[in-house]
Amino acid sequence: MIQPLRKTHRRIFLALALLLPTLFLSGIAFRHSWPAPAKSKNSAARQLPSRATP
Amino acid sequence: MSHQYQAIGWNRQKRVYDVVVLAGVTLYIALFIGFGTFLFPYATAETLIIRAAGSAAFLLLHVVLCIGPLCRLDSRFLPLLYNRRHLGVITFLLGAVHGIFGIIQFHSLGDKGPIVSLLTSNQNFGSLPDFPFQQLGFLALLILFLMAATSHDFWLRNLTPPIWKTLHMLVYVAYALLIGHVTLGLLQSETSPVLAVATGAGLVTVLSLHLAAGSREREVDRKKLNPVGEGFVDACSVESIPEKCAAVVSVSGERVAIFKFDGKISAISNVCRHQNGPLGEGKIIDGCVTCPWHGYQYLPETGGSPPPFTEKVSTFYTQIVNGRVWIDPKPNPPGTRVEPSRIPEAGVRA
Repeated sequence: MIQPLRKTHRRIFLALALLLPTLFLSGIAFRHSWPAPAKSKNSAARQLPSRATP
Repeated sequence: MSHQYQAIGWNRQKRVYDVVVLAGVTLYIALFIGFGTFLFPYATAETLIIRAAGSAAFLLLHVVLCIGPLCRLDSRFLPLLYNRRHLGVITFLLGAVHGIFGIIQFHSLGDKGPIVSLLTSNQNFGSLPDFPFQQLGFLALLILFLMAATSHDFWLRNLTPPIWKTLHMLVYVAYALLIGHVTLGLLQSETSPVLAVATGAGLVTVLSLHLAAGSREREVDRKKLNPVGEGFVDACSVESIPEKCAAVVSVSGERVAIFKFDGKISAISNVCRHQNGPLGEGKIIDGCVTCPWHGYQYLPETGGSPPPFTEKVSTFYTQIVNGRVWIDPKPNPPGTRVEPSRIPEAGVRA
């Protein structure tokens, strides 16, 4: 009864083991490179982050 | 067990489990928002709630996904499995908080409906860095809702365990969608290596544990038993079975649990009727085979639960020959009484 489920589970994870690392590494590799914010000459000025999203 | 309907069959273990989980989640969210207020002074309260709930849900989903294979690899993790469904429901609720606050903050002020806006505002499907990651999260949340809504034993019993388990395998699809949601969303804007390394480590952990557990299960399934005549197969030696425990073998494509108790041997299906738990990894307690997952019990001679419960599993004929256990691979109808084989005294061969 549950041997087919075990087979399905194995196949799902073999597929995920190929798909997810590829997706993860591609996502990291192709992300936008944001220029570093120029440093303020006024060191007392509060430095805001370049980008903020939740 | 199953003789009457209960919203939740509360017991001390479930209460302790839930209190620990809720305390952990509350502490995590409080710490996240507390530290976040100081570390990210530009972030609004809504943003901190979105991040706290989203990261808590993502972490908890990793825990949920690791419990199954950990229990297959080491029985000391079994207490974590006992109330795993409540973890899943809490994961959905945290994800829902993340999603609802996100939709309110980003999609509720335009001229389109919030859901329409969520689904149509970004159509850059061809670009990885600009991919509409919010839609991936929305789909994952729908799957988690489906699973939370059908997590009760009512649905397990009505859908039957194989269909219910197949349905709940959708959690792997939800996990894949959430890896996409995080990688193509958060990790595109937040370039801290800590976040990327933590996400990668979580992914590697989940994949490794599931592949290791799957590989171990495959070895048991592939082990062939030798036919020994009269339709029986040689399963294992009597000595190899610890008292009040079982050896598990695979015959005719399914697993059989061979229990030794009080000088006798009985064989029943390894599959618990409740959630398909592995009966052969349980013990005989008070004369009953007790499932290690949720404590469902079966009499080893009949495969039936003691009254007033009604669950039944298949039984198998056994023989003991020269210190070896032979079993008939053909299962008897669930609940069929089979006299246990008596283990001969030392020095006497059956």
